[in-house]
Amino acid sequence: MSNPAHKAFSLEGKTILVTGASSGLGRQIAISCAHRGARLVVTGRDAMRLQETHDQLKGAGHVQVTADLTSSDDRERLAQVSDNIDGLVLCMGGQMLSPIRQLKEALMTAMYRTHFLAPVMLTQRLLQANCINKNGSIVFMLSTAAHIGTRGVGPYSAMKSGLLGIIRCLAIELAPRKVRVNGISPSVVPTPQLWGEDNEQNEPLNKERARHPLGLGTPQDVANGAVYLLADASRWVTGTSLVMDGGAVL
Amino acid sequence: MSTGDPFSLAGKRILVTGASSGIGRQTAISCAQMGAQLVLSGRHAERLAATCAELEGEGHTQIVADLTRQEDIDRVVDESGPLNGVVHAAGISKLAPFRLISRAHLDEIFSGNVYAPILLTKGLLAKKRIAAQGSILFISALASHVGPVASGVYSASKAALLGAMRTLALDVVKQGIRANCIAPGYVRTPMLEGLNQGGGSIDEHAKLTPLGLGEPEDVAYAAVFYLADASRWVTRNYFIVDGGLTVPMDIYA
Repeated sequence: MSNPAHKAFSLEGKTILVTGASSGLGRQIAISCAHRGARLVVTGRDAMRLQETHDQLKGAGHVQVTADLTSSDDRERLAQVSDNIDGLVLCMGGQMLSPIRQLKEALMTAMYRTHFLAPVMLTQRLLQANCINKNGSIVFMLSTAAHIGTRGVGPYSAMKSGLLGIIRCLAIELAPRKVRVNGISPSVVPTPQLWGEDNEQNEPLNKERARHPLGLGTPQDVANGAVYLLADASRWVTGTSLVMDGGAVL
Repeated sequence: MSTGDPFSLAGKRILVTGASSGIGRQTAISCAQMGAQLVLSGRHAERLAATCAELEGEGHTQIVADLTRQEDIDRVVDESGPLNGVVHAAGISKLAPFRLISRAHLDEIFSGNVYAPILLTKGLLAKKRIAAQGSILFISALASHVGPVASGVYSASKAALLGAMRTLALDVVKQGIRANCIAPGYVRTPMLEGLNQGGGSIDEHAKLTPLGLGEPEDVAYAAVFYLADASRWVTRNYFIVDGGLTVPMDIYA
């Protein structure tokens, strides 16, 4: 059974590159995209965990590339195997908290390299090498931290806000090729790596849960948002971000 | 598609207002393609029947109603039955420079664009028509933030939906019901064509928009996402679907 609406929400025939695919949101996005018919190129730093993601991808023809995208050599190596990309999801990350008064240059530089330099320069390389197809979709994983102020989150907030600037300008630059550029801004999704085990003793998580009218999100929720932004259903959505926050509101 | 598809609307009954034309009509058609059973409301019996005839699947119903009349709102509430989603797509647009705004103009635009969706939602909630996990969606407009020439009252009416939606979402969250707004830019609809008879040109709007003029499908598919379980964690949200129109504008300034 296939009609225009079903086709609009399918990823059949599309190749999607997901960074940060070895865990958390990136992994679930890769799994969900494969489930909707996409061929995946997955990349992450940890070879073993990346293999675990790869093993969970439905369908055939998926490619995995172990890479540290803060390195230009690794970005180049990834670009070499990434031709005809219809969707690019930039998910690499990792939280580091620091009040600004105690901020160390080394931490700020690390945040800049991982959260800003790596996704922006990978996108640059893929565009310059003509790896991204017409009607393609680029999705930056942001966070509600891109829009709101939270104690101690300054370095992360700043890099995610910085990506908003890239999203808007790139959306204009790529519109003639009908390539769209958007962000997803999730609030708290308790992935074990970032938040630890979600149980009654996990005070930070319980506090977060209390301020979200619909409770906390799951990686599947965010992956569904990514599927919408990658599918043709969103072909007229560009330069904006999809806020997923259980009603907490920016 | 298999069951368990988060984007499917199979098993959901969805009320779409303004279904006789434009965004409402296409939203109904796309929702039916995703498996939903539709309850259509619109003012024009003949055009409403034409939309209904285009819907895939069975069991759809239509209610001819003018939602600027309370008795018609009450009738839609009475006749709609249990719902899993509501799309408030009915709306009107008329231009007037600010010095020519009249109470009658305000009453007309607010009656259709603000009173109708708010009172219809109120009626549906009072009668417990919307099931748990349901989704209420308002079609606002970018005019709410941009403020185009001579559209002061229209822009105000669309901005009002944002405020109403934010509070509504908090009220209904205990039932697991979600409420959101979609704000479309310039979409090829009879409403836009109507406005352009007043002097503008569709080509001008298309030129302003980086991805060109939108099609009703583009808004309809966003509506599908907001109605489907795929967006179950999204509420109190205002989503811009505009082909990039506002990307070079500081609409939050």
